[in-house]
Amino acid sequence: MSDVAAVPLAAFDDAGQPDDFAMLVEDLGVRYDLRFNRKTPIRQSISAALTRQPTRQFWALRHVSLRLLHGESLAVIGPNGAGKSTLLQVLGGIIRPSEGRVEARGRVSGLLTLDIGFDRQLTGRENARLGCAFLGLEDSVTRQIMPGILEYAGLGEFIDAPLKTYSAGMRARLGFAIATSVDPDILLLDEVLATGDAVFRQKSKARVVELVRAAKAVVLVTHDMQWVTEYCNRAILIEKGAMIMEGDPQAVVELHRERTAEARARAEAKAVAAGADAKALVGR
Amino acid sequence: MRASRDQALTGFRTDAASPGPLALLSEAIADIRSRRPLVRYLVEADMKRRGSDTLLGNFWWVMDPLLQMAVYVVLVTVISQRTIPDYPLFIFAAILPWKWFNAAVIDATVSLVEQDRLIKRISFPKIVLPLAATTAGVAGFTFGLIPLAGIMLLYADRISPFLLFIPLVAVVQYAFTLAVALLVSAGNVFFRDLGNTTRHLLRLWWYLSPGLYSLALLDESGIFRDLPVLRVLASANPFAVLFEAYRSIIYGSVDGPPGPPDLVSLAVLMTGSLLFLALAMMVFKRLEPNFAKVL
Repeated sequence: MSDVAAVPLAAFDDAGQPDDFAMLVEDLGVRYDLRFNRKTPIRQSISAALTRQPTRQFWALRHVSLRLLHGESLAVIGPNGAGKSTLLQVLGGIIRPSEGRVEARGRVSGLLTLDIGFDRQLTGRENARLGCAFLGLEDSVTRQIMPGILEYAGLGEFIDAPLKTYSAGMRARLGFAIATSVDPDILLLDEVLATGDAVFRQKSKARVVELVRAAKAVVLVTHDMQWVTEYCNRAILIEKGAMIMEGDPQAVVELHRERTAEARARAEAKAVAAGADAKALVGR
Repeated sequence: MRASRDQALTGFRTDAASPGPLALLSEAIADIRSRRPLVRYLVEADMKRRGSDTLLGNFWWVMDPLLQMAVYVVLVTVISQRTIPDYPLFIFAAILPWKWFNAAVIDATVSLVEQDRLIKRISFPKIVLPLAATTAGVAGFTFGLIPLAGIMLLYADRISPFLLFIPLVAVVQYAFTLAVALLVSAGNVFFRDLGNTTRHLLRLWWYLSPGLYSLALLDESGIFRDLPVLRVLASANPFAVLFEAYRSIIYGSVDGPPGPPDLVSLAVLMTGSLLFLALAMMVFKRLEPNFAKVL
């Protein structure tokens, strides 16, 4: 898997000033215990215990090391299920590593969701207040930024109507307004650029650019390769929980494209082979 | 327009190692202290939600315990032909605290599971969710004091200054309830069966606790004569202590006026509940890092 490009682990060992980082990830591993994730009926659990089956474990990420400097904008790319979102969850302090360590310097905030604290019975305004409290903002700060949130959401008098009366687009607007209201040092973004209608997408993209400029460091998960090459100064490629390449966005995107094309070719070949088999079967 | 930078610039450090029990406990306490506004909003949201669906709104907070009382009065006095003087007040003194405990535990069971999306996407102290569920019950309990006052007017000779002990007993109950709420909420993340089990266990617990009857009545009936160990078990039930205390200050006894609660057993229960709560907090904080993975 890692035959393409060696992960430059050494890059941060000799990086001169060891203290000048916004976020440090060392040999990170995240293991999922499938015992609890996939609901196993007790009958099966007992039979598994009796037959001494090893507990099923799955490494969503392993041996990932990173050093995020201040002022950097790092893109995380890779196919679906590669572990990108898991990486962001660990960086956001939502999941604890099973291996290795993560250190963040400064306030970390993630746009991992657009529907924060949403309670359908409460009004938009109440939801905004609740969302801010979940994000850890103090009351005084919330009061200060609330007008801005409401203005950005642009819901007019709907702001005092229960959320259940909102359309999906209105909910997304409110969620985006709340989620981007925090002023983080390290900003984590997970595929937040692809929601809403064209106008909202434009508006949200502008807002994210503004946040990216204001934050000291950004980590972004996206499938938008244009965004990666335009706004990021570094990129990493993750596949099946392992870091394949780290470096210049252009190069990483290039490699990702090649590997995706290869994978697609393989899948197509397989499909063709399967089709041939099927034909052979039918012909028999 | 965005937040001014007046909050402490915090960072964090995580690794695979789990902190020791005392560190977990102090983390839990710090979590609660730092997120009091969030708990308050959650409690307010909960109250509003309960009131918003129905025609009578928050009036149900008053009606609910009264109707439940009516059911038990019919059940016990008419069907089983028992005569306990001023029986409505007798059981209301138990229904009120039990409704709080029952609602808090059932709400806490689903409090984490219901917010799975949030837990997977935002880093916040999960302890606020069961804490809010437990605390929302205090509001219901307080509303329940309104019908209690109404019933007390019907039995005016039982009104006494000992009613002022209610908050003290409620504090003991709160500590015990919170401990149970933390454990069931965390447990339900891993074993969803707990939600189904809890309801039935709660019902069983209610009938095994001296709410519809008193320990004194059990003594009279003589069911402990052959098995004194049952008497010990019955009085070791935290809700035996709580119900007897509430009854003592609200109702008194079958043939006597209200008096002070048994302060010794309350003190023992309080100490036990605080130890239990500390243990529950440690367990909760120990399991917390896995919530986002399992949900």
